[in-house]
Amino acid sequence: MIKAIHFLPDEKNHEATRLLPYVMAVMVYLSALALMGSMMLHKGFGEWTDSLSNRLTVQITTADSVARDAQLTAVIGLLRKTPGIEHVRALNEVEIKKLLEPWLGVGNVTDDLPVPDILDVTVSRNLTVNLDALRSMLAKVSENIHLDDHQQWLGRFLRLMDMVEYTALGILLLVVLATVCIVIFGTKAGMAENRETIAIMHHLGAQDGMIAGAYQSRFMKYGLKGGIIGLILAFITLVSLIYLSRDLASGLIKMPELPIVQVSVLLVIPFCAAMISMLTARITVMRDLARMV
Amino acid sequence: MIHFENVGMRYGMGSEVLKDISFTLKPGSLHFLTGPSGAGKTSLLKLMYLAHRPSRGKIEMFHEDMVKVPRRDLPKFRRRIGVVFQDFRLLDHLTAVENVALPLWIAGGKGVEIEEHVEELLTWVGLEGRMKSRPPTLSGGEKQRVAIARAVIKRPDLLLADEPTGNVDPAIAKRIMHLFVELNKLGTTTVIATHDMGLIKKVKADRMHLSDGRLQFIRAGEQGPEEELNSASFEPHNLDQKEFGPRNYKGEGQR
Repeated sequence: MIKAIHFLPDEKNHEATRLLPYVMAVMVYLSALALMGSMMLHKGFGEWTDSLSNRLTVQITTADSVARDAQLTAVIGLLRKTPGIEHVRALNEVEIKKLLEPWLGVGNVTDDLPVPDILDVTVSRNLTVNLDALRSMLAKVSENIHLDDHQQWLGRFLRLMDMVEYTALGILLLVVLATVCIVIFGTKAGMAENRETIAIMHHLGAQDGMIAGAYQSRFMKYGLKGGIIGLILAFITLVSLIYLSRDLASGLIKMPELPIVQVSVLLVIPFCAAMISMLTARITVMRDLARMV
Repeated sequence: MIHFENVGMRYGMGSEVLKDISFTLKPGSLHFLTGPSGAGKTSLLKLMYLAHRPSRGKIEMFHEDMVKVPRRDLPKFRRRIGVVFQDFRLLDHLTAVENVALPLWIAGGKGVEIEEHVEELLTWVGLEGRMKSRPPTLSGGEKQRVAIARAVIKRPDLLLADEPTGNVDPAIAKRIMHLFVELNKLGTTTVIATHDMGLIKKVKADRMHLSDGRLQFIRAGEQGPEEELNSASFEPHNLDQKEFGPRNYKGEGQR
């Protein structure tokens, strides 16, 4: 029984469009990687900056250990009296050595190595500490006392984070643009291959929309097929990268993890690819047909 | 039904292939279109099946000015026209049934009704054993019959045929001509481009003769230009209308 007549020749015979699903797969692969990378870094950076945003570090670099101990006691007293400071803790020798180990190597931190005293200070999130006043008070105790609020580093870090995200967004936009161009070329090539079929359909009274419909459903299929392949490949790549990076991180910094909930949003990518491909094909066909008699 | 007034036609920037063509075809009329090769017969047919716009003049069809009709409205007029192309123009990847069913499907028809209708017509043109065959596997004559079936399946208001009996044996040619005559009697305005002088003599219809892009009307029975008479090689067929006819074919395609 005749339900629908597929008036366009089978896609197997389409030299021009046969490879399109694979090109779409590459495009979706690249955009999914860009998006997933961006999401992971966003989450990772967020955690790092969060953990530093209410912390201060005070270093006492006085060489003489007796004077240094006296200064340490004075600084702890001073800090505890300062409004807005919640907690002050001096790092013990083992903790300080552990901090140095990634830089100097395990076992290379000898006992005679002059290491500073370090205070880890937690600041209240509700109250603001007057850092300038605190700095000048600490300077009165000794000029070898350094207060680091991490702001300079955090500022650079946030700029880097923004740049990475904008780059990812830029890559995504470029990939979408390239996809649109490829679909336009593919559609035009497909139309050129079927010029005679299109002419016959016109003579028999087919509307442009009917012809465009055949192309748009074909290109939607290409987009969806390529999108699914590309997304699966991107997931495999990312999971492999995370697995490999676990060995490299060696505890120096906490490696970002895959934010599962956010990443699941990426499942819509194949559908977006299908939509972009379908709409581009429709617009291209309708515009080309409008130039015919 | 069809009115041409001082129509000229050219391809691109080339010179005019049709010059000052003026004629009127009454509804339900039957005309032959003759002329030497390159005289512009196919170009004139193209104007009539709305595949080309004239470079000048006025064309009125179905009570509408076809020069002014917007492009989006052309399909609805094309659906009222059946065309038999000289080179058949079938879709090679579709079966004979699907090719013939296309005009009905385009017009929104579906299902068993279409298929029965199409199979009946294909049987009538002698292709009952080739329903599921694709054009590349059909002979020239078989392709021509599929093309004719596709042109008449919707019982068009206007039927245009370019050398419709060129590739078929005399018996089938007779049957096809009879189909055209029957459709014409039912009200289909018919124009048949042909070189077959025997056919012209037998059917006794008026003749539109094109020569060098200009049109001349020749009444049925009158003698036309000599070159055609000289080139005529015709074995007369006896068109017995009782013997051939779309007995079961009702020709009530959807519009």
